Amino acid sequence: MNMSINNIDELGRREFIANAAKACLGVGLMPMAGSYIHNSVKALTPGARPAKARHVIYLNMGGAMSHLDTFGPKPNNPDIQGPVKSIPTSADGVILSEYLPLTAKHMHNAAIIKTMVTSQGAHEQASYLMHTSYLKRGTIVHPTFGSWVSKLSGTINRTIPRNVKIGGGGGGAGFLEAEHGALPIGDPKSGLANSKMASYLDDSKFGNRLAMAEKLNTNFSTQYQQKQVRAYSKLYEDAVKLMKSEDLNAFDISQEPQMMHDLYGTSNFGQGCLLARRLIENKVRYVEVTRGGWDTHDNNFEAVSMNCGGENGIDQPLNALLLDLEMRGLLKETLVVLTSEFGRTPNINGRDGRDHWPYCFTAFLAGGGIKGGTTYGETDDQGRTPAEGKPIKPEDLNATIAYNLGLPLNDVQYSPSGRPFTLAHNGEPLMDILA
Amino acid sequence: MIGKKLGLYIFLVFSLCAAQAEDFRIYRTPQGQSFNGKAVGYEGQTIILADEGGSFVKIPLSSLSRDDQVYLVESVKAKRIPQGMPKSQSSGTSVNSASELSRMDQNRSSTDNAARSISPNGVELESTEKIRRPKPPKKELLRVGSFFAHLPVPLGVSPDEAMAKAKGAKPKPGELIDFDRHVLPILEQKCNDCHHAPFDRSGRLVNPKASLRFDTYEQVMKGNLDGPVVVANDLDNSNLYTVINLPEDDDMFMPPKGGALDTDQIDIIKRWITEGAKPSKSSVSPTTGGVPNANEPVSFNHHILPLFEQRCMECHGAPYVKNSRTIKPKAGLRLDTYEWVLKGNLDGTIVTPGDHFESTLFSVITLDEDDPEIMPPKGDPLSEEQVTMIKRWILEGAGEQPAAVAADPNAVPKPKETKVVLNQVQNQPTLLESLARRAKIPSRTQIAGAEKTGALVRQLSERNSLVRAEFSSFASEIDDSALSAFGGIKNNISHLDVSRTRITDKTILGASSYPNLTWLSARNTMVTDNGLKTLPSLQFLRYINLSGTKVSDKGIMTLATMTDLEEIYLWNSEVSEKGVEMLRKSLPKTKIIAGL
Repeated sequence: MNMSINNIDELGRREFIANAAKACLGVGLMPMAGSYIHNSVKALTPGARPAKARHVIYLNMGGAMSHLDTFGPKPNNPDIQGPVKSIPTSADGVILSEYLPLTAKHMHNAAIIKTMVTSQGAHEQASYLMHTSYLKRGTIVHPTFGSWVSKLSGTINRTIPRNVKIGGGGGGAGFLEAEHGALPIGDPKSGLANSKMASYLDDSKFGNRLAMAEKLNTNFSTQYQQKQVRAYSKLYEDAVKLMKSEDLNAFDISQEPQMMHDLYGTSNFGQGCLLARRLIENKVRYVEVTRGGWDTHDNNFEAVSMNCGGENGIDQPLNALLLDLEMRGLLKETLVVLTSEFGRTPNINGRDGRDHWPYCFTAFLAGGGIKGGTTYGETDDQGRTPAEGKPIKPEDLNATIAYNLGLPLNDVQYSPSGRPFTLAHNGEPLMDILA
Repeated sequence: MIGKKLGLYIFLVFSLCAAQAEDFRIYRTPQGQSFNGKAVGYEGQTIILADEGGSFVKIPLSSLSRDDQVYLVESVKAKRIPQGMPKSQSSGTSVNSASELSRMDQNRSSTDNAARSISPNGVELESTEKIRRPKPPKKELLRVGSFFAHLPVPLGVSPDEAMAKAKGAKPKPGELIDFDRHVLPILEQKCNDCHHAPFDRSGRLVNPKASLRFDTYEQVMKGNLDGPVVVANDLDNSNLYTVINLPEDDDMFMPPKGGALDTDQIDIIKRWITEGAKPSKSSVSPTTGGVPNANEPVSFNHHILPLFEQRCMECHGAPYVKNSRTIKPKAGLRLDTYEWVLKGNLDGTIVTPGDHFESTLFSVITLDEDDPEIMPPKGDPLSEEQVTMIKRWILEGAGEQPAAVAADPNAVPKPKETKVVLNQVQNQPTLLESLARRAKIPSRTQIAGAEKTGALVRQLSERNSLVRAEFSSFASEIDDSALSAFGGIKNNISHLDVSRTRITDKTILGASSYPNLTWLSARNTMVTDNGLKTLPSLQFLRYINLSGTKVSDKGIMTLATMTDLEEIYLWNSEVSEKGVEMLRKSLPKTKIIAGL
């Protein structure tokens, strides 16, 4: 009697296991959850299509590049254009400013978005928005785009970091695991600082030290089994792996032949581009190279011509980078992006300079997945605001890059306070410039 | 006990003889119960209904749906329903108490018959126990900062507006006062504690004070025995306005507890009365709680929400706290307000206005009955009318307010406007797409097996049979033996990257047996002319990267027959300019890059 009552609600062994699996592993839920995924969302999930590009080199023009004097000239309006002429490029109907003659030869592989807009007119905030797709807030640090790429794209080369930032600060992983943050490299010539093993340290001594450190950490890591803690010890492991790996040479541009140094030039930016190419060759996912000096409130035309041409300009390194990638057969899988946090005023100010202009600027994209020789949108006669095509926000640019990389735009990551974030906020990929 | 009740009321009437002006109609309760009967009399706030069998049922007016209440009040006004208990018609055969008793027992035991659960017996207590006002919403005791404690704001609606709606806040300047949005929230906040709808508290009916109810527009306008409290356009005769403006120490000052209304609130009520004390737009529909007529636009509040309440909210309701645990809605999906319905859940929206094919809400209710994912998972599937109603609501734009015109559920769907036409060519399957169809999707074990020798093997995309195999980590430790692991996925490899490894010709010769290879990079390896010999067998090869290898003019001439090759990279190899020229002649369409 007792038995039978006990047995009334008892599950069979199989049922029990099935239920336990459902409860603990979410097995039961998954097929169900899948059915709610919207069709249009499916198109944006990872793996819905093969990725067009696998690596990104993001050339960040810090201080805000004058879009009128570089990638968005207005040849018919000398009032706003000053002394700057336009030149034809390798793509029909696409013109660039005369300051970029070498880049002009690559326009058949590149696209220009002429209607970039941003909501921020101060450098720090605008740069933050460009890099994270979110507005800067006091309460949270958003992951930079490179960290998102690292988080969502998966690793190719296990021994070196996925995300590297050359020149300039920032690039942090925000609330994502620390391992996704950018590895900062201050000076491209000196490569990865402090990465060599000390000369007095032999392998056995080093092994002992590591074992000791691990022992000391055991208590802490068993007590706090959290993402961040694990990530930290992972960072150590990766560092050790890197220290011993031959891939470390990727960071050493002194190994490049003289011819390559000549091609890229000796400027910091040029060497940064060279390093970026080396890293891409070694399967780093995301490299950002920052070049400052664009905040041309005074004497704009002289400054811009120096920033573009000459030995410190961007024209030579950009040309070199695109050539070099093409020659190595890497351009097809590498997306090169060049943009800044906002543009500069069409009106020339009293000091012959241009001031901040967030209402319109340009972005240059070349290589993997980009429909070569295209421009998107058109500005009004004075290059003030978008006149044709929709305004492209920083989120949209990031979404376009992410789409090209085959990353899931709708993947939600939660901050520690439980708020949902996605890699390109609510940006929409700009299909018009994608092949 | 039963005998006593029976003794109180046993009436027997043949329906034929109930020669009143009233007809049979279906009365509903807000809970979705229905009763087919006709009104034959009333006593105070109690309506006496006769069913088809001729039995009388006493039902408090308040327990019927709003529409029924309106209908009955009008009927009484039109003197179609006589006051008092109707006399039993003598033409019928009397039924003895024993048979009546057995019938009642039957009714008691039948639980599935909603109509019958209204007791045919006239005892009022009995009926109020059975028919209750809807339960007050579960108290939300959510943690501070809980996701569910936030107010959902639909896309395209400003947060202010959503907040105003939820909190009943102020009308915008120049906006007409809307009863539901502006006035009712004030009444609910300030008056509803006493002037509520009658409800049942542990078996006793709690009536509103002064028989005055402020829970619906009709009740507010009806007033009580002393007359109406609101007279449109007449502030002096509107008692509601008078009592809230009395000095606070006056006996008649309202509300007696909780402080006076603030000036904004008084102003809203004043404006509402002077604007004509109109009901909220679209607040009345004769088909509330049911299915609308074919020519009536579907209303979210009157048709969709009641259906959701009945069938969906058991699982997809508001989160609540039970045994100190937060019970969340299933799948994170709430259907208890318009905003939540439109918001959907983390998997996306469930309603695409105007397109029922795209709306998950519609697709899950139209699945086969035995489909494991059909909604609702328990009970019968939704009836055809209900499905059509939801379909129509989506077609009409899935608005909170009903559309202007009813949609035709059977209309042929409009051809979709394609957003951006990317490349016309994309409609044709690309080479990779057609190759992907030829191979089987590799299993996880197969991929794991292929990765044993240090390769990274990844499908090109989800559920794509083709894979990219590459040796990126510790490339310098990879030699010819590494490719032995690829035996199981030979047909799947479309991209092979052996660059920077220590492989030799042997590997490239081996790779020639991968039938679907389209992309091959041997950059910076020791590959020589010998390795290229078998490459022409790769008919789908489109990209080959031999930069930094030892191949020479002699070797690359084997590529000259491969006219489908699109890209050849030869920089830094031992190929001379002359050799490149020769190759260019044989392959005029191919991009051959050999140097700056």
